[in-house]
Amino acid sequence: MSGPLLEIRDLSVSVARGDARFAAVDAVSFSVRAGDAFGIVGESGSGKSLTLRAIMALLPSAARLEGGEVLLEGRVLSVTGRRARVERRARVAMVFQDPLSALNPVRTIGQQVAEVPRRVLGRSRAESRRRTIELLGLVGIPDPVRRYDAYPHQLSGGMRQRVAIAMALATEPAILLCDEPTTALDVTVQAQVLDLIDKLRVELELAVVFVSHDLGVVRELCENVAVMYAGRFVEVGPTSELLRTPRHPYTLGLLRAVVDLDDPIGFLRPIGGTLPDPLHLPAGCAFHPRCPLASPECAVIVPPLVRVDVPHATLPRESACLHYELVEAP
Amino acid sequence: MTHSLESTHPIDTPSVLQVRSLNVSFPVGRRRLVAVEDVSFELAQGESLGLVGESGCGKTTVARCVVGLQRPDAGEVSIDGAVVALARSRAERRAVQLVFQDPFSSLNPRMSIGAMLNELLVSHDLAHGARAEQRCRELLSLVGLPADALARYPGSFSGGQRQRIAIARALAVEPRVIVADEPVSALDVSVQATILELFADLRDRLGISLVMISHNLAAVRHVCDRVAVMYLGKLVEVGVTSDVFSDPRHPYTRTLLNAVPHVRRDPPPHRVRLEGEPPSPLSRPTGCSFHPRCPRAEARCTLEEPELLDVDDLRGREAACHFRDEPMAATLTLPTTEPRRFNGS
Repeated sequence: MSGPLLEIRDLSVSVARGDARFAAVDAVSFSVRAGDAFGIVGESGSGKSLTLRAIMALLPSAARLEGGEVLLEGRVLSVTGRRARVERRARVAMVFQDPLSALNPVRTIGQQVAEVPRRVLGRSRAESRRRTIELLGLVGIPDPVRRYDAYPHQLSGGMRQRVAIAMALATEPAILLCDEPTTALDVTVQAQVLDLIDKLRVELELAVVFVSHDLGVVRELCENVAVMYAGRFVEVGPTSELLRTPRHPYTLGLLRAVVDLDDPIGFLRPIGGTLPDPLHLPAGCAFHPRCPLASPECAVIVPPLVRVDVPHATLPRESACLHYELVEAP
Repeated sequence: MTHSLESTHPIDTPSVLQVRSLNVSFPVGRRRLVAVEDVSFELAQGESLGLVGESGCGKTTVARCVVGLQRPDAGEVSIDGAVVALARSRAERRAVQLVFQDPFSSLNPRMSIGAMLNELLVSHDLAHGARAEQRCRELLSLVGLPADALARYPGSFSGGQRQRIAIARALAVEPRVIVADEPVSALDVSVQATILELFADLRDRLGISLVMISHNLAAVRHVCDRVAVMYLGKLVEVGVTSDVFSDPRHPYTRTLLNAVPHVRRDPPPHRVRLEGEPPSPLSRPTGCSFHPRCPRAEARCTLEEPELLDVDDLRGREAACHFRDEPMAATLTLPTTEPRRFNGS
């Protein structure tokens, strides 16, 4: 495989709160190849969703892009404005957490999906309808010919998310950005939607960027993952190795705080402290007040994300911790 | 006949909460949607029961009946052996307290934590004046909050801290049972564990009985002694949590467990996937309501509805499946998914 399909370089986003601004996304870089899935994991306020929106050129009004580049097949894209949206339209698509807010309640799902090939790709009415039925079938909606005329409220949450995915695929994008698409769904339906995204990634050679607060979901879907804390990537690497031998204390803390189904009872080991207020981030490493490994220099130096050695690991790993070699096994 | 559940506790432990043959339906147009059908369970002192199932299965409706927010069509709720009236007395309301999912909407933003707790103590005539203030401080330390929280307002607390305040408020009236409806699902991952730990701790230290409703099966396993699995308004499997999770006897329980992603190990190469979604309670399938999605279903399942009955050889286990006496791994050949394919592998 040649170079990356999507490359993000030093992306920074600031957000206004009252009269103040804070850095919500701070110099984030990563790349994804066609057919690969890249996960971004973090808690609320970590900046993971804003990262996706910045890539999509869909930042909310309080947010502002402060710098960075988005490259599609090696070509730099505009990052703001109408031009940016036109450049992405047929290449980058996004699926959101709440499918209901992505769908118009008073139009049939068929009309809504068909509008995309018709308006964006300039297909004929008949061709758009045919393509829509094909897409609804592709995302696993039973009886797509009949469901073409269904309204969003007549579908379950899982089916609505499938429609939202069909709509995202209607432009035949190369890149699919997913913002917690399964968080609002039941575990059984979540498993089905994850299977679907995985199937589409393989069959359509999609580059997938998947944002989630759920390490388990990312482990299921993504080959590589970045762990985000207070706007920065603190650890990046291959998902299963990173979760087996974390090299950042926050990754370890998250891993230990999550309860797994087959953990021994009483395994709960929460991270101490609370998420920092983004307006008053601690000096140095933002995680140091909660970090069991923190030393005096952690309150002064902002550790850069650098390549680190991991015993027995086969693939490169990056960590933004001065004491990465002291991080225990989970 | 009622299916009262055998408790894991000794027989002489009286049950604190008893729910018998609960039925609830709601009008939908001219029809009635049966949300809960013939649900019965018991809870002993200091015991915790997890109520799990997909959204729309009726678990929250059961919880609302238990706390008296929903009037059942039929069935009764008993506390300490006494059946509670539909219009509950003050003491009966005190006995069962509810903790809501969202700690941001369940606390009055204009009332300080101290005033909120004090009002409860005074209105239930539990403590007054200096004693009430003392008791407020005790309550805060019980849920792991500093005493200076009394003067502060909900807005100055994080989600996890607010959930602690909600729990302190529930504890203030010295309830026999706490019903927690998805108490951690609105919280951040790193905070969820602290709240689960608090529930386990309160159960152990204060002997409070707990009904926890959750779609998070791992959370239920860590906090609840027993688990009840609901599907389309009915209990389909009940038993000791660790036993149910390691040897489920209802195919629905098994598929539910299979759908949970794991954090600390790679996904299995092949796994059981549940096809489809729960049918609408308005058009319940004939026979066993799970049969259209069930990999084990036979002709019999489309005709005969299985009752919730004891499972042979498994103490305190009940399942509503015709094949409940067969351990599943040995007899089922289930459809599995393709293993994940990554570029590098």
